[in-house]
Amino acid sequence: MNCSPDVLKDYLLGELPGPDCLTVEAHVRVCLTCSEELERLRTAQAVLASSPDVEMPRRISFVSDRVFEPGWWQRLWNSAPRLGFASAMVLAAAILVHGLTRPAPAVPEATAYSQEAVEARIEAEVSRRIPAAVAQAVAEHDARLRTEMARLVAASESKLNFERRADLVTFEQAFTLLKKQVDMLQYPRLASSEMVPSR
Amino acid sequence: MIFREVEDRDLIHKARKGNVDAYNVLVSRWEKRVFNYIYRLVGHREDGLDVTQDVFLKAYQNLGKLEDPARFGPWLFRIAHNESYSLLRKNRPETELTEPPAPAHNPRMLPIEVSITIERAMARLSADQREAVVLKIYQGFKFEEMSEILSCPVSTVKSRLYTALDLLKDALAPVKARGVE
Repeated sequence: MNCSPDVLKDYLLGELPGPDCLTVEAHVRVCLTCSEELERLRTAQAVLASSPDVEMPRRISFVSDRVFEPGWWQRLWNSAPRLGFASAMVLAAAILVHGLTRPAPAVPEATAYSQEAVEARIEAEVSRRIPAAVAQAVAEHDARLRTEMARLVAASESKLNFERRADLVTFEQAFTLLKKQVDMLQYPRLASSEMVPSR
Repeated sequence: MIFREVEDRDLIHKARKGNVDAYNVLVSRWEKRVFNYIYRLVGHREDGLDVTQDVFLKAYQNLGKLEDPARFGPWLFRIAHNESYSLLRKNRPETELTEPPAPAHNPRMLPIEVSITIERAMARLSADQREAVVLKIYQGFKFEEMSEILSCPVSTVKSRLYTALDLLKDALAPVKARGVE
């Protein structure tokens, strides 16, 4: 090995691999110049190292505040529920956008067809129900008329019978009176004798 | 070390989900190293503390950009490097490093004199060389990690460090010559 101050420094600073260290040590044992150079370097290193680290005036400690709070994306990324919710929101938004933007040719025709069908069904149902309702209303009206007619007929017959019986009674009374008057005219003596009490 | 890396990775994972407590644990593990690195660069304790707080705040806000949690250390020190140099650029006129006074001539050096000598020696280095020394000698990073922190090739890292060591070995030689009490 040739004399090399830089290699000595690397050796001193612990930057040489093991085999190279052995080479340097062997060289220093036989080279007075390098031995003295290494000794001066060791002295400088030792003196420097004798200057200890100083203590800190104050310890450093941080508290959680807005500066230290993680950003919204960090909180989102580090929270499974939040991330899941966000994913669901994104998916819902994507579906909504897709639904709003994609062409929908079949939907209007289907709607028109459905409206026509509904109208036809309503019309058929109306056509089916109206005659039945009219027939039912007519039947009910006829029934009410028949009942009223029967009631009126019955009342008339009752009144007629009453009047006929009254006439019969009146006629009988008039006939009886007439008969008595006729008898009085035909049989005056009988009538007078009958008017004298018997002895 | 592997266990520690796994734990750091777990803390980073929790902090990424907004767990501030986990991040505080992470801060407590790294704050002293980061503070001392910054302090050795800016040379002022309160400024060092302010920058350290900014570093950990920025690190939290950018944890999501850290691709490999196993590289958290170099990544954090890269932020510290940027924040420190941002402060140095802002306060350049006021924060020009002044050389500490030379220690009094005594047969043996007091520990404070050693510290001053080290400060003087470090002050003679360029900012890049000084940072390379701090990352290697005090923080123990590998060349590859230093390359990542400083955002420069490994060859550049080595060049800065080798030059710095050449300067330091001369500047610090008197310490050994006089010894330490």
